[in-house]
Amino acid sequence: MSKISEITETAGGGACHAGDLGSPFCALCDVRERSVCADLNPREMARVEKTMARRSIAKNAAIVSEGEPNQNLYIVVGGSFRLIKYLEDGRRQVTGFLFKGDFIGVRATAQAAYTAEALEDSHVCAFSHQFLDEAAKSSPGVKDRLIARGQTEYHCAQEHIVLLGKKTAEERVRSFLSQLASVIGTPGEDSAIETPLPMSRQDIADYLGLRLETLSRTLAALKKSGAIRSISRHHVSLKF
Amino acid sequence: MKEEWLKYLSAPAPRYTSYPSALRFGEEVDAQLYEEKLRGVGQYEPVSIYVHIPYCKQLCWYCGCNMRVENRPERMRAYVDSLLREINAVGERLAGNGRVASVHFGGGTPNMLPAGELGCILDAIEDRFGLTDDACLAIELDPRLVRPGDIRLLADLGFSRMSLGVQDFDVRVQWAINRLQRFEIVEASIAEMREAGVEDVSFDLLYGLPKQTRDSFSETLDMALSLSPDRFAVFGYAHLPAALPRQQMIKQEDLPDPQSRAALAEMACDRFVAAGYAAIGFDHYARPDNALAIAMREGRLRRNFQGFTDDIAETTIGFGASAVSYAGGVYVQNHKDIKSYRHKVDAGALPVARGVVRSGRDQQYAATISRLLCALEADLAPLARFMSPDERAQIDGSLDRLERDGVIRRHDQVIEISSEARSLSRVVAAAIDPYFNAAQKGAPTV
Repeated sequence: MSKISEITETAGGGACHAGDLGSPFCALCDVRERSVCADLNPREMARVEKTMARRSIAKNAAIVSEGEPNQNLYIVVGGSFRLIKYLEDGRRQVTGFLFKGDFIGVRATAQAAYTAEALEDSHVCAFSHQFLDEAAKSSPGVKDRLIARGQTEYHCAQEHIVLLGKKTAEERVRSFLSQLASVIGTPGEDSAIETPLPMSRQDIADYLGLRLETLSRTLAALKKSGAIRSISRHHVSLKF
Repeated sequence: MKEEWLKYLSAPAPRYTSYPSALRFGEEVDAQLYEEKLRGVGQYEPVSIYVHIPYCKQLCWYCGCNMRVENRPERMRAYVDSLLREINAVGERLAGNGRVASVHFGGGTPNMLPAGELGCILDAIEDRFGLTDDACLAIELDPRLVRPGDIRLLADLGFSRMSLGVQDFDVRVQWAINRLQRFEIVEASIAEMREAGVEDVSFDLLYGLPKQTRDSFSETLDMALSLSPDRFAVFGYAHLPAALPRQQMIKQEDLPDPQSRAALAEMACDRFVAAGYAAIGFDHYARPDNALAIAMREGRLRRNFQGFTDDIAETTIGFGASAVSYAGGVYVQNHKDIKSYRHKVDAGALPVARGVVRSGRDQQYAATISRLLCALEADLAPLARFMSPDERAQIDGSLDRLERDGVIRRHDQVIEISSEARSLSRVVAAAIDPYFNAAQKGAPTV
């Protein structure tokens, strides 16, 4: 992500040369090919770029806050986020994690139902829903195609409910790790899968509905059984 | 207490730990309806869990709880097996929905079970419902059964709130209720709790017990205060020997008269408030920095089956014999009898015995009564559309009397209970309660 890391916020319109070559940002964006804008035709792409803004989000800062209006669709182009729901008395539930190529704020809301916080220094592209809705008049389905790939907060909720319906702590931890590996894991030596863990242990415990101690105990048991080859604070090597 | 308030002391009034009260539970609610309501629990909806352990080492003659004396560990183990089955069965039906805000172990005597078995129950809850570090784990304890090391084990399991059944420190009272427990036992228990880092310790005290006098109770209060628990619950003993045969062991003539009872309750209140505790509802006291006192200041105090609470969850899931659940506007109670409870659970069914569906009117009354008890004031305006002219007249009559006697003040439809009359708040609630009023018709009124 070094390509855009120095930018804090850039409105697309001025700086970008919307046209055949696309903007330098979009042309260089390594998320684009994989999922985000690949399905847009050049004309749509040009329009999208015009109003798009890139933002960098510092670790632990929120991009969407529960109860606040949100008018933007965000694409995570670098880094990762946790989704959080706060209960009335301030207790929090981690409801999901989003990574590069995923989406936040799929619909404009007067009151966001969750908070999205950066797990590390991250980058997003922001599109206003108003613009996307207007663009849809001349390019039907542009929004749908934009978010046809990648995870959204709604996918997260689905995954979470399936996960919480699992029976034991071990099953939960296993399915969390394999979900994570399939999204951000890379093949390593000896058919291991190397997966970063950008979130804290407490985030994982809160997400899985486990107590920290139970999570640690379960991770230790998985390491002993060989399912986890090695684990450090922000990295896990899995054997499947 | 004011002269003109004395007549309210002997007036019957429900405890309002549920509304409608458990007396109205019937067969209209079955396992199928409960299952349906469980399916309606939201994905991250806060849920509080109650686990009932119906066993005790010895019979206390005042007790009104669903319990039995049991000294065979294998029987209790079999009960725990059924509890685990029930937890799994309900967990399956919730399918990952709900989020546990608190777990409360009550009884009976939860520490009749070894810490290891309590740990198994907690593990099952964690596996089936999820349990995060900020869920509050509470347990009721009989100090006579606390052995050295027990408290540490419970703290390690995650219990952060512990309540000790103290009742009364006077040995004559203890003889009269068949519960002998030396001060030193309670002292040692709370010392272990502090040592283990437990920061929310509550004492249960009872007033209106046989042989209790102002002097003896005054001493009990001093002794209790010397141990500096974080909260007190001071319950009035209800003598109902016809309904609860064990209470026949208590002699009517040993009981303090209504006036002395009131004096005892008032003494407890004065003493605790003077010692810096905040008065919570009509029978709880908490240090100002305790979660319960904070909840009251912030207007979050609620009433549930355990009394006054800072728990935010509406939905309650009860496990064990006689446990009550509340989901989607329906109260559900499990079989009281341990045998029938186990029989149902072991056959794979939800052990629902009875319950009641709360109507829209019930919900409105429940909210108003809860406001009266928790905040000492409530607006009756939202109830108006549910009242017949007759009911209206009856309620107005009762409220007029209460106002004349200085128990309440009224501004328009808003009732405010005088803070000195806090102990009478249930009587005020009863005055507007249509079920209570209907049941009282024909009976002499105060």
